[in-house]
Amino acid sequence: VSLTIALSKGKLLAGSEALFRRAGLPFPDGEGRKLVVEAGALRFLFVKDLDVPTYVEHGVADCGIAGRDVLLETGADVLEPLDLGFGRCRVVVARPAGRAAAEDRAAPMRVASKYVTLTAAHFQGRGLGVEVVRLAGSVEIAPGLGLADCIVDVVETGRTLAANGLEVTETVAESSARLIVNRASFHARSAELGRLVETLRRAAA
Amino acid sequence: MNGSHRLAQVPPGVQCFVGEQARRRRRIEETVVSVFEGWDYEEIIPPLFDYADVFTGEALAPKTYSFVGRDGSVLALRPDFTSLIAKIAAGRLRDRPAPLRLYYSGEVVRYEPVAAGRQSELYQMGLEHLGGDARAADAEVLAIAAECLERLGVEGFVLALGHVGVFSGLVASAGFAGEALRALRDAVEAKDAAGVRNALAGAAVAPDVAAALERLTSLAGGRETIEEAAHALAFCAPAALAVAELRTVVDALDAAGLGGHVAVDLGEVRGLDYYTGLVFRVFAPGLGFEAGSGGRYDTLVARFGRPLPAVGFMLGLDRVALLLERRGGTAAQPPEPAERIAVGALGEALAAARGRRARGVRVRFGNGDAR
Repeated sequence: VSLTIALSKGKLLAGSEALFRRAGLPFPDGEGRKLVVEAGALRFLFVKDLDVPTYVEHGVADCGIAGRDVLLETGADVLEPLDLGFGRCRVVVARPAGRAAAEDRAAPMRVASKYVTLTAAHFQGRGLGVEVVRLAGSVEIAPGLGLADCIVDVVETGRTLAANGLEVTETVAESSARLIVNRASFHARSAELGRLVETLRRAAA
Repeated sequence: MNGSHRLAQVPPGVQCFVGEQARRRRRIEETVVSVFEGWDYEEIIPPLFDYADVFTGEALAPKTYSFVGRDGSVLALRPDFTSLIAKIAAGRLRDRPAPLRLYYSGEVVRYEPVAAGRQSELYQMGLEHLGGDARAADAEVLAIAAECLERLGVEGFVLALGHVGVFSGLVASAGFAGEALRALRDAVEAKDAAGVRNALAGAAVAPDVAAALERLTSLAGGRETIEEAAHALAFCAPAALAVAELRTVVDALDAAGLGGHVAVDLGEVRGLDYYTGLVFRVFAPGLGFEAGSGGRYDTLVARFGRPLPAVGFMLGLDRVALLLERRGGTAAQPPEPAERIAVGALGEALAAARGRRARGVRVRFGNGDAR
């Protein structure tokens, strides 16, 4: 095995597989639930999307594919040489349609999100101290149930938000899938990584 | 909590090493220190804390443990040795003629969030070369770093060299500052060409400067990178000068047989705020993080009142220990078993033990602790 690659089991998986196949690179064929799989000279780790930067930052994987949203949230110190172009989405603030802006109320604003770091940084940057409620999923239902005034979440089409009576009030960040590379591997395995990055660059263009 | 006593818990970020672990750490330290002394560096033991304003800079300030002293002054536990040594070179050692060659070995303390997975207490072994011929000092420090790794038995290590002057030369002509500068630096540092284009969008930057900034994300590799960079940056005098400095150092390392360990990375622009010239990080296969880092800081000592250009580097003992452990074969020689001195009549036994000690024999005194 020459290189280890961390990939998300989640929403970026299909795009990652398509990219690897287009690039003519090996990719594991439906081995079901195995999380560590070798294919050709590559070893693949299938992990949660928030964990991809962690595996790469620590050098357990030499490189990986992670959303820009996840990179901003984890603050991982990794190289990001390629915007792969797929998995485009926005991280937005959304609140119940027609409800008064929470900034204007007498109580502190409460924001539900799985992006707690990004959320806190966003509102602090605007001079607003907010209470951030960490949720692992189904964030859209939080305002309707009274858990939060608004949410910070990722939106692709906006249908889920609309179905839960939410409207987007601002964009926190734009995101797409990025190739990320461990800093030590970049130098210690520069030949193999250089070839992989070039192959993916051509396939992503 | 497993029935353990509340007071027996450790706070996050600290560590304790016992016996064999401690011996392995000492052995690494002894190896590195013997290299420092072999290049005629003198040991310096700086204080554990000092006035907080000794340690400034955007990178370290949020990680510094500071506290108010009894007299109301703001103090800080050292988060870094270099600032302290710069201060000592300008103060206590101000009458010593340059160059000064000083080395240290000890802990620094930095606040790290639990989730970061990093220790708060880091053991650093490093040196500072203050004054003297700058290029010779740069090359010497890199050669010392390489020798440390060789003596430690680290194979395939890489010294990744950059120069702050490349990036700062380019942005100076473009008039970047504040948040925009930070975003641009982060993007270059992450080799994120798309991010560099984003950061430059809408700014009034000359096209050749914009192209060069984007190019920095891919100017990394072997010796040939210097030629590419010289060509790509020829239009910007300060950046070209930085590349020329780097070339001198890389040529010297080549001539000294270290060429195979040298990589050039002009996207290496991070670093503590005080770096002004050469910057480098030490990588090794099997370790996902840098094992050490260093660079040139020509203006830091002047902050304390003595204009003295300098260069230094440090190795993280924790990182080196992890690296050696992952490669196996680090078991230190177990010490010879001690001679047992059984205690019958206490005074007699103690006298016997002192007698054996006077001959340099290692003794284990007392009964009932057989292992």
